Amino acid sequence: MKTIALLGQPNSGKSTLYNALTGAHQRVGNWPGKTVEKAEGDFFYKEQLFRIADLPGSYGLTANSEEEVVTRDFIERGNADLVCLIVDASQLERSLFMLADFAGIHCPAMLVLNMMDVAKENGKTIDVAKIESLLGIPVLGFTASDDAEYPKFYETLEKAVENPRILSAEGIRKIADAVKDSSVERLESLLDGADFGVREHFWVASKLLENDPLVMAEVRATVSPDRFAEVEAVLKSEKSAGGLITGEAKYRWISEILRDSVVEKKNVVKLSRFDKIATHRIKGKLLAFGIMFVTLIGCMVLALPGMMIGFGLMSVSGPVVHSISESLGIWPVLESFVNGVLIGGLGLTICMTSFVFAIVFVFALVENVGYMARFSYVFDSWLSRLGLHGKAIMPLFSGLACTAGAACGTRVLDMRGQRLFAMVLLWGIPCGAKLSVVLFLATAFFGSAAPLFALVFLILIFASFYLSSKIFGGKLLPLEERVGMIMELPPYHKPQWKALLKMVGRNTWSVFKKALVIIVSASLIFWALSYSSDGNVENTVLYTIGNAIEPVTKLFGMRWQLFVSYLGGVFSKEASLGIMSTIFGSTDTAFSLISRDDAGANLAEVLSAAVSKPEALAFVFASMFNVPCVLAMGSTYREANSLKWMFAIMGYYFAISLGLAFVAYHVGLLIF
Amino acid sequence: MKNSTLGDLKVDQTGVVCKIHGDSRFISRIISIGLTPNSSFTVLQNDGRSPVLVYCRDTIIAINRKECAQIEVSL
Repeated sequence: MKTIALLGQPNSGKSTLYNALTGAHQRVGNWPGKTVEKAEGDFFYKEQLFRIADLPGSYGLTANSEEEVVTRDFIERGNADLVCLIVDASQLERSLFMLADFAGIHCPAMLVLNMMDVAKENGKTIDVAKIESLLGIPVLGFTASDDAEYPKFYETLEKAVENPRILSAEGIRKIADAVKDSSVERLESLLDGADFGVREHFWVASKLLENDPLVMAEVRATVSPDRFAEVEAVLKSEKSAGGLITGEAKYRWISEILRDSVVEKKNVVKLSRFDKIATHRIKGKLLAFGIMFVTLIGCMVLALPGMMIGFGLMSVSGPVVHSISESLGIWPVLESFVNGVLIGGLGLTICMTSFVFAIVFVFALVENVGYMARFSYVFDSWLSRLGLHGKAIMPLFSGLACTAGAACGTRVLDMRGQRLFAMVLLWGIPCGAKLSVVLFLATAFFGSAAPLFALVFLILIFASFYLSSKIFGGKLLPLEERVGMIMELPPYHKPQWKALLKMVGRNTWSVFKKALVIIVSASLIFWALSYSSDGNVENTVLYTIGNAIEPVTKLFGMRWQLFVSYLGGVFSKEASLGIMSTIFGSTDTAFSLISRDDAGANLAEVLSAAVSKPEALAFVFASMFNVPCVLAMGSTYREANSLKWMFAIMGYYFAISLGLAFVAYHVGLLIF
Repeated sequence: MKNSTLGDLKVDQTGVVCKIHGDSRFISRIISIGLTPNSSFTVLQNDGRSPVLVYCRDTIIAINRKECAQIEVSL
């Protein structure tokens, strides 16, 4: 087996290449001890197994963020048999910086100049053979979105693996050392005799000058204390400007290579008319909200067929299962199990997955055409206060429709810490169902005062953002990684439909599998807890438990009936109302976990008669920040790729909602 | 004459980066995205509030206003 590391800047087409090569044979995990996602995939070529490690995209190799540390570490350790660098041919000069930063690490390498079609459209002629002869490693002119180009890629890959070539930093070194009394040269001489594995001394000296924290620590541990003091003296004389020296040398090396190998015509650059609107402080936000709104509607339309299948399945199967079990004379318990757990769970999963499909598809499309960066640009000033990237606005906004789908949408964020934090916030944003339940309860209990609850709810949501950033912000979004926006706005592309649909299909399928497990297990638990042979609530386990812990839950203003309804809300918002109508109403039917048909029209009257004002206050507040639903749990688990995180977020929201209930109840006791 | 910083330039003005101030983390970020001393650029948008948009090395780059003040330029 040969391990290939894919290395490239964001927007270089790295993921298109990765997805095309590995197809469905991908694994996602976490790098040990890091909040960085690890993506690996396999493919066969001429009966040889290749393992591709898709290293996190970054602009360079200085170890400033966790992503960069992971990437650097993988390459430095010589974990890869070949490093495949991928750059954007339409922005060759800037894109090759990654190559210049890599030069001097003696790991076999090849270079892919991607998006040759765009480069050509922009009037660039690139002499690939010339670049290859100047660099001394295999170089390929390529268009990753074109299937017909892949045979060429495999050939170059084979050549690069069979005849490994390394990229020396000699060219950069000559430029850097041409300066009189060069500090890189002095640093390099101080490193004499030390062993840095696959890395040239010049490379290590450059990183020292760039104040790379990992290299600094390594050099301190390797050279004698006297030597290190000298190193520090050199660095002190350069202060933080050392990076400018090496940076400039790297770009000059790049322009030397490109001088004779690229011919381009000079274009006059102007912001396109669309971009003038898209990046406008006000119009840009309006446009973005318009697009998000259309997106949400598009999501509903796309999700509709799936929802219909899901709900159709449940309504059709009920009578069918009933008649089968009757004719076979099977226990009614089995019928209830099949309907409630198996079919109900499957139906719910299909409904949810179709929504997830829609959101993932629309988001991927917006990202794919290059519009996402404009989103970030216009919303950065809002979200950077929370430490989030501007494009987080998209999943957060869609959280108003469906928390579960929006959790999958957090994928648009590049860093795992950002994704986890966005999910934390997301759980505090009420989805359509939660909002309607909270308003229903507020109206049922407090009539015309309901709008006041809506206002308080809104304030509390923003307060929860603040609280979340205090509690989770420090760990997930380290302060030193939060810097003002320095971001590329990539040019617009035509969408790559095929790659896009494949990617969306794979993601949706994997969400479906994980969600099914969670939803069916949760359905099973709820079914078992709420099953009673005669439909009498007092014969359920739920009642027994609720009754037993009533002394505790009463602290939060919840009698067993209310607490059980609250727990039902964890499963789904509808279940919460369903349980209430069963418990407080006189309906004989066992409550449903998924539909609120049972929540009869007179539920409001029954509730306000049976529940005291302070209790009602507590329950409304508890419902506001209750766990969204089991579907949201499922998709959060899958996106976070960690049960631990899902439970942490769950615990956090239980604490908030019960805390609010506690306060509301005791304040209510004073008021009413 | 006092040197201008990136945020002082108007739309369509072309300039050359003279000096970049800041800690090494900032310098590493700004260099890896393509702005280096002696590189030339064109301002695409500067509305006085949003991050400044410049065109440099074949792409559009958005730079936060506070950070713009750390980049000295000449016309």
